[in-house]
Amino acid sequence: MVELIIDGQKVLTHPGATVLEAALANNIDIPRLCHHPELSISGGCRLCIVNVDGYPNPTPSCGLTCEDGMSIETQNAELFQTRREILDLFISEHPLDCVTCDKSGDCLLQKYAYDFGISKTSHEFEISKPLYQDDNPFFIRDHQYCILCGRCVRVCDEVVGASAIDFAGRGFECHIATPFDGPMKDSTCVFCGNCVQVCPTAALMPVSRIGNGREWELERVKTICGYCGVGCQIEYALNNGEIIYAQSKPDAPVNGEFLCAKGRYGWDFATNPDRLSSPMLRRDLAFELGLTSESWELPDKSPLKIRNPKIEDSFIPVDWDTALDFVAESLANTVKEHGPDSVMGLSSARCTNEDNYIFQKFLRLGIGTNNLDHCARL
Amino acid sequence: MNFDTLEDIGHKERSRQSKYQRRIFCCTSTACLSAGAGQVHTSLDQAVAACKCDKHEAEVVKTGCMGLCSEGPLVRVEEKESDPILYGNVSPDLTQNIVSRHVPMGGIEGETDNEEQDHSVTPHDIPYNRASLRQAQAKTELDKFIIPLNLPFFTKQVKVVLSETGRINPDKLEDYLAHGGYRALAHVLEEMTPEDVCNEILESGLRGRGGAGFPTGLKWNFVRQESADNKFVIVNGDEGDPGAYMDRTVMEDDPHRVLEGMIICAYAVGASYGYLYIRGEYPMAIDRIRKAIRAATRRKILGNSVLGTNFRFKADVRIGAGAFVCGEETALIHSVEGKRGMPRIRPPYPSTSGLWKAPTVINNVETMANVPSIINRGANWYASIGTEKSKGTKVFALAGHLRNTGLIEVPMGITLREIVYDIGGGIPDGRAFKAAQTGGPSGGCIPEEYLDTPVDYESLTKLGSIMGSGGLVIIDDSTNMPDFANFFMDFCVDESCGKCIPCRVGTVQIRKLLEKLIAGQADTEDLEKLDELCQLVKTTSLCGLGQSAPNPVFSTLKYFRNEYDTLVQPSQAVEAGGS
Repeated sequence: MVELIIDGQKVLTHPGATVLEAALANNIDIPRLCHHPELSISGGCRLCIVNVDGYPNPTPSCGLTCEDGMSIETQNAELFQTRREILDLFISEHPLDCVTCDKSGDCLLQKYAYDFGISKTSHEFEISKPLYQDDNPFFIRDHQYCILCGRCVRVCDEVVGASAIDFAGRGFECHIATPFDGPMKDSTCVFCGNCVQVCPTAALMPVSRIGNGREWELERVKTICGYCGVGCQIEYALNNGEIIYAQSKPDAPVNGEFLCAKGRYGWDFATNPDRLSSPMLRRDLAFELGLTSESWELPDKSPLKIRNPKIEDSFIPVDWDTALDFVAESLANTVKEHGPDSVMGLSSARCTNEDNYIFQKFLRLGIGTNNLDHCARL
Repeated sequence: MNFDTLEDIGHKERSRQSKYQRRIFCCTSTACLSAGAGQVHTSLDQAVAACKCDKHEAEVVKTGCMGLCSEGPLVRVEEKESDPILYGNVSPDLTQNIVSRHVPMGGIEGETDNEEQDHSVTPHDIPYNRASLRQAQAKTELDKFIIPLNLPFFTKQVKVVLSETGRINPDKLEDYLAHGGYRALAHVLEEMTPEDVCNEILESGLRGRGGAGFPTGLKWNFVRQESADNKFVIVNGDEGDPGAYMDRTVMEDDPHRVLEGMIICAYAVGASYGYLYIRGEYPMAIDRIRKAIRAATRRKILGNSVLGTNFRFKADVRIGAGAFVCGEETALIHSVEGKRGMPRIRPPYPSTSGLWKAPTVINNVETMANVPSIINRGANWYASIGTEKSKGTKVFALAGHLRNTGLIEVPMGITLREIVYDIGGGIPDGRAFKAAQTGGPSGGCIPEEYLDTPVDYESLTKLGSIMGSGGLVIIDDSTNMPDFANFFMDFCVDESCGKCIPCRVGTVQIRKLLEKLIAGQADTEDLEKLDELCQLVKTTSLCGLGQSAPNPVFSTLKYFRNEYDTLVQPSQAVEAGGS
């Protein structure tokens, strides 16, 4: 273990930990914009600077490895003033549109501006990157809010492995770009939205979020994504009962705050009018059972050629008991009449491992057949 | 191939050179080339050929910088049993005069002195050239072009790094060997351990010539003591300071010296691969270094068995692409790795984790070029030059409002006054000295009252400047200082990489304030803000570029405050209150 002193407090940490990590683990907060616990170190925002005994200048704590006997001071009047002046520079090129900005309440720059009491810049305001890119259905890139923390670049490189974006240009004209500033769809982007997740400002926002409610008024629902067997945790944000966007929190087991394109953007099906909300029984069978007065016959035209088929034409909703009774009886009759191997079970990668386990147990032990397959094998 | 064979080659070359009654050296370094030295060299060749004299009467030698660049193109004639004569501002026409004065004309059968010039014949024709030579002989204004070699410009210099520059043909390994080249490397491999070499460099007091002045021997020892499978040596030839061309000259005109220093370094620290990072704007330096690497590889000075020993070292060139920030060591490393040239925070330092995370030595070209001399003549000799803490010599690119501008090498400790007035010849056009700027966009200016300051690392830092890489600009009283500072700030704004907020936005805001000031629209509050902002950028920037960008502003504010004050309007608050 390494022992050092932070703000007069003795702190024990494992070898290789940075001063920032050690401080955060001991409830000492240090302001930071470009640091992210899952990503490599940048050191570019300069907010996490601390005073180190024996060092001539304040040093960024995000990259400073703890050493035995180090003495660190994370805050004092001078550091406060320096950090405030750095924020002053940030907002000299960042429009303070907090009143109507959808990131309000979730924005790190806004948080630190509040913490350091800085509401307008003392410099001449000039936007360095007046670029607005709305070239894909998933997220908007509004560069005027970008603080070049580089988190999006690092997450795309290190976590996703797509490396679709990087810093381009130099100095004041530096901006985050796809190769040759081309459209997102022509890059290696997989639209997982993890860049949007880690962006601390409104530079990257989901399209579906814009103008759809204030951060603090949205309802949050935690659930498990149904798209594949990994079973990532998702937190949907709802405005008036409608899903606005999906994200995940760092403490989520399995995936932390990272999702894929399906989980993050593929939730429209949840409120799609075509989605089934109760079991449906084929109209001709329901007619036989006396559950409906109108039957259904196979049309002359192939069902595949019917555009926008109305589901009520061929199915009627029934309650679960009716449905389960019907299925159980029909399955049992089929097995009795034609033997267990006349039944086949086809499952899906979207079911959880547990569901798939029960499914195959049912088929093998309940029905008595090994006719089992899975969508991934096809 | 061991050193005996190489020594032999050097010996043969010396013999060959000594056969010539006279050797005519023509500078072909970039500065002289841009003044027409290419044509001068060609016409010298043609003129000597036209003499039709005995082969060993004269040799035209393509060589490098002779220092007094403001008088280029330069040609030096070295004749046996005579003092060398230096000619300046040589034109292709003047070469006729030079050759006709120094080189005896051999006779051609059937030719008479009264031969009429036949203008229908091309200049490449020998008879035509000979006629021109005879014509030139009659003119005596050649003396006007002679530059006395006993000028303080020459006598006050001490050549170590530039010992062979202007004396050898940089394209010929034999010439380097003839002047004692690679003897230091042979000595190191035969007689010294890596620890011996590091300590020798440490004792010499050699400090990094790129500007930071870190003790070279100490850096080498750090890397030597790291245990790693791979280690690297990088020579930093990015030389981004405007107006600085010390490293360019050494790479162009004595490339083997740089290689020799690099190989010795690699042996000393345990590296087996090296890179010379040369800025893309130096195509000739790139070419000459590559040629030198090829020649050295052919002679087994580089490769799997250096000079026949079991020491392996190979070197390659990596070309920059127009970014000043790539002179910063971590940005340079990223550039060599194929990534965007952006610096990273240090620690870790390159000596522990550098190129591809391996321990790496990065040294400036000039630093490396000192190494062979230190090994050959000893640490004590090197330490006898210079001051107590700044040993050896420094190459400066002397430029600006000065009579003599060019490339000089002076002992540390020489005063600025000697450089400006003795070497530089003083300020021309009847103007007065105002300031000397050292360190380029990272440095500061030194006013007249400090002209007797010795030029060494500590003294310059105490005055608010830095040694820098060697750019030394002299400005006269026609210069406006806020304007001067703004020039350098403009440069930093252009070259900032964009990673950290103080440099990316801070420099732009500083430039805004300076421009507001120069336009006469700033008030006293703006001046205070300028100082505060400069402090912020200096203390919070991530790398040396941002940290030193405010230096010219601080320096001009310190010594020329009155020029800022006269530009300032009274503060708005005072105006409103006053009425």
